[in-house]
Amino acid sequence: MNVLNTLITRRRFLQATGVAGATAAAGAGLDRLSGFPTLAEAKSALAAEEGKTVITKSVCHQCPARCGIDVYTTNGRVHAIYGSLDSPIANGKLCPKGHLGAYILYDPDRFKGPMKRTNPKKGRNEDPKFVPVSWDEALNTVAARLQSLRDKGESHRFAILFGRGWGASDAGLLGTFGKLYGSPNAEINHSSMCSDASKKAKSCLDGNYSYNAYDYANTNYVLNFGASFLEAFRPFNNNMQQWGLMRTKSPKTRVTVVDVHLNTTAAAADRALYVKPGTDGAMALAIAHVMLTEGLWDREFVGDFKDGVNQFKPGLPVDPASFKEKWTLGLIEWWNNEVKDRTPKWAAEITTIPEKEIIAVAREFGTTRPAIALFERGPTTHTNGVYNGMAIHALNALAGSMFAKGGLFYQMGVPYGPLPVKADDYVDDYAKSGDRKKPRIDRVKTEDWPMASNMLQEIARNHLAGKPYQLDTAMFYLTNPTFNSPDPKAWEEALKDIFVIDTSPFPGETAMLADLILPDHTYLERLQCAESYPFQGWPMTTLRVPAVKPLYDTKVFGDVLIEIGKRIKGPMGEYYKALKDTENVIRHLAKGFEKAPGDNGVTGFDTWKDKGVWYKKPYLWQQIRGEFYEWDGKSYNKPMKPEEVKAKLIKTESGKFELKSSYLEHYAAYINKKLGIPEERVGFPQWVAPQYTGGGDLHFVTPKTAMHAEGRSANLPHAIALQQPTVGGNKTVYLEIHPDTARKRGIRNGDKVRIKSPVGGIEAIARYYQGVRPDTVVLPQEHGHWAMGRWAKNRLPTGSTTEVTANVSEPISGLAAYYTGKVTVERA
Amino acid sequence: MKWGMVIDLEKCTGCQACSVACGMENNRLPGEHWQDVLFYTEGEYPSAQLKWFPRPCMHCENPSCMHVCPTGATYKTEDGAVLINWDKCIGCKYCMIACPYGVRFYTDEKPLVEPNVKTVFKSDGEHSWSPPWRMPATREDWKRGVGVQPNDVVSKCTFCYHRISKAPKGVADLDPNDPNLRDYTPACVVTCAPGARYFGDLDNPESEVSKLIAKKRGVRLLDHLGNKPQVYYLAGEAGAVPSSRANNKS
Repeated sequence: MNVLNTLITRRRFLQATGVAGATAAAGAGLDRLSGFPTLAEAKSALAAEEGKTVITKSVCHQCPARCGIDVYTTNGRVHAIYGSLDSPIANGKLCPKGHLGAYILYDPDRFKGPMKRTNPKKGRNEDPKFVPVSWDEALNTVAARLQSLRDKGESHRFAILFGRGWGASDAGLLGTFGKLYGSPNAEINHSSMCSDASKKAKSCLDGNYSYNAYDYANTNYVLNFGASFLEAFRPFNNNMQQWGLMRTKSPKTRVTVVDVHLNTTAAAADRALYVKPGTDGAMALAIAHVMLTEGLWDREFVGDFKDGVNQFKPGLPVDPASFKEKWTLGLIEWWNNEVKDRTPKWAAEITTIPEKEIIAVAREFGTTRPAIALFERGPTTHTNGVYNGMAIHALNALAGSMFAKGGLFYQMGVPYGPLPVKADDYVDDYAKSGDRKKPRIDRVKTEDWPMASNMLQEIARNHLAGKPYQLDTAMFYLTNPTFNSPDPKAWEEALKDIFVIDTSPFPGETAMLADLILPDHTYLERLQCAESYPFQGWPMTTLRVPAVKPLYDTKVFGDVLIEIGKRIKGPMGEYYKALKDTENVIRHLAKGFEKAPGDNGVTGFDTWKDKGVWYKKPYLWQQIRGEFYEWDGKSYNKPMKPEEVKAKLIKTESGKFELKSSYLEHYAAYINKKLGIPEERVGFPQWVAPQYTGGGDLHFVTPKTAMHAEGRSANLPHAIALQQPTVGGNKTVYLEIHPDTARKRGIRNGDKVRIKSPVGGIEAIARYYQGVRPDTVVLPQEHGHWAMGRWAKNRLPTGSTTEVTANVSEPISGLAAYYTGKVTVERA
Repeated sequence: MKWGMVIDLEKCTGCQACSVACGMENNRLPGEHWQDVLFYTEGEYPSAQLKWFPRPCMHCENPSCMHVCPTGATYKTEDGAVLINWDKCIGCKYCMIACPYGVRFYTDEKPLVEPNVKTVFKSDGEHSWSPPWRMPATREDWKRGVGVQPNDVVSKCTFCYHRISKAPKGVADLDPNDPNLRDYTPACVVTCAPGARYFGDLDNPESEVSKLIAKKRGVRLLDHLGNKPQVYYLAGEAGAVPSSRANNKS
């Protein structure tokens, strides 16, 4: 049966040499049989290895979800990783990446200890000629540079750029470091290359600059815009657990997916709709239009017409005085200024999704309770990303899902104990001086990016332009913009004259341009705590306990930072001496659990180590039929006053879900300048056309796959072997292209093609796929390395997808508009 | 006693954690996973389908592979698993041709991923490779085809025999959510996040697997061949097992 032999084609034997080979082997086989070791011989040779198997509680590092893991170790060797039953996220399960942790630990290309560069020339083809140095020499080198910058009054020219932060003993230390040292650049995060537009869209409407917690187990409808729920959306492992539940409970949770191609998330759903890239907001507005005109909004949360008669008629304004709003603000203004004209017919032209499909989805979403509208980078990594996100998130208000059972809410903080010393007591006159008030190198909070949190992708070009100044020294932690920033070649140029310190354990692209390597432990060697991302609302924090002693002469990043701090003269050095090390930090944090014991019996450091997690249920608040209640110890019984709702839940200026965002109105002039929206309209969730870059004729979309392991999957042979971006995809990632689109360009299935934009070009293998929009090509990111290890290099594609991506960002959140590019594709 | 597996295709998300968990637990070479998830497309845009089908060894009641084995290396255990005795296997590959499900593996082939992990993690000579995360040597059991695959033999899914064979006698199901049974449960079943896999005693009408097969109309792959697989699929709304319409190109 051919369909079962999809993967067997590479087992050449079965196709060509099968029968002949078998015959030959049968004839020769008997001789070889005598050469086999017997079981007894084999066992005695290996029996020396016997030992007790130990299970250590740790936390997976293959994505940000913080799944608790059981690490199985025998005689100091890790031989298995499974999800931990103690972990409320993992529940004993893992995603495919989770099992591959041993590959990270035993990676043959790991840095074995601190090293310095001896080749002053930097570039892709320059061997750094690293030579080993002692930790003392390495740390003293950094401290001397930092001290010298301070002596010259140039401490702002030192920056720390980081990607994944691992909690209070890790990235949590960075803010203090910059404050004591005197640099505004000591904690520049990659969030603007991640998902800042999602957080910003939510904060515009409900005042929470955060991702959401979702009550999937109790929802009956999920409307998913461009979130790879079954591939990468966090927490992926738990999403799949919830999927098993949602799809077999009664009533079955119905799922509609809006995306640009047929991924596994869309394929598993009840309905997949293929949206023109960057136009998701138009679809969401049309859904809102139908929900209002057909009377499908949640009256208990939103409010109602005073006379109870629905006056929402397509194209016609409504008298604001006729409607009494409850927890939303600005509904009628929003209708009059935007939604009344956003008909399904209008949206169909923009999104290319048929009108009747939009109406069908709107009716389903509007009549099924509870219902969740969620979104991630599909709609948001465009120049109109925040407005797309707002249009989608507004549906959660119309459906009454905010803080409701089966709806969505936010994450509570962890009651950690205080650190042993207060940083404020150690800020010296230098750090306090007005001379330190320098703009950040990424120019956030300036007129360029007044609303963004971070603009890591801007740093290379700002440095090259000397605007606002040039960096002297940059330390990188868990980020590799030389590979994954839009237009990464700018980084190759910029890092040539910056003293680069990389802390990665792996030989990535940034490390190849580094002057100093201060390698971190890999995660199975670390002691590290990490608070949960938004999950189910109640607070949770996890602990990574070392499963083995460090294999090499490496040092956990938090301790590197503390050791550098200790070497700076004055109060800063004193502070870090008092802080001692990350274990001391974690022990002090854990003291908070004495007063707040976890549900699993964790009351301090030792019990935390035993379980690997502290958590305390329940989430303390719930919206029930338009009223907010607080948990009274037994149930959601204690009515909340509007000011309590504002302080704890809906944190906008009005304390309402603002369909006319007061936050955005404060920046009306800026938004008008950047997006051309009239100032009086900036507050509304609304249709803003995306600005496509590149000038090509095909949209270029570069999603994560289920094998996307925090920058490492390109060097994990098992992950490489299981890449399945489209059917039977295996060994590499492919460019998904519609057969008609390909044929028009003379591209055959399996041809090597060149993907080009004015920024650059890369080559990949094209794969015909009927599941991708004919105007769009899709190539998963994270592959195409020129460094990063022996398996990552020299495989297709010939470069990072970002090499064809223009460095253009959404102006409100600052999120890099990764999916905004249009490219040309031709046979290579 | 007859161990068997039930896979609920309605829950399966195609994530391949089963393949990876198996690959690491059983020290499989990359691309030589005893358990694969096969992907198919059919139809045309915008009505194309993407489907997937998880495929372990079926541990047939009437295994073609066993019948053709010239040395008796492939055998059926009393508790229902189909295993290979590596001490008897001569690597003739008849079983690979006979198996209708494509789930047997020989290792002398060109590596899927370069550089070859067999060179990077070189073996002591007896094994095909020696990954640093290989199972403790005392768990290896060549009479049951458990361990890092030796050179020149065929290997296959053992239902994680080194785990299930230590399960308490008479247990109806191996539930990975039960802390007392978890370490005896096959790796793919332990890790399956949506809970699409069940493992238990098909001879016991009270077992969860028996009940699921009865209630949710379990079907077997290529049932007409008469191999009587001990792996059952629940199709639900997910659609049936691969149809002949499926193709993987255009």
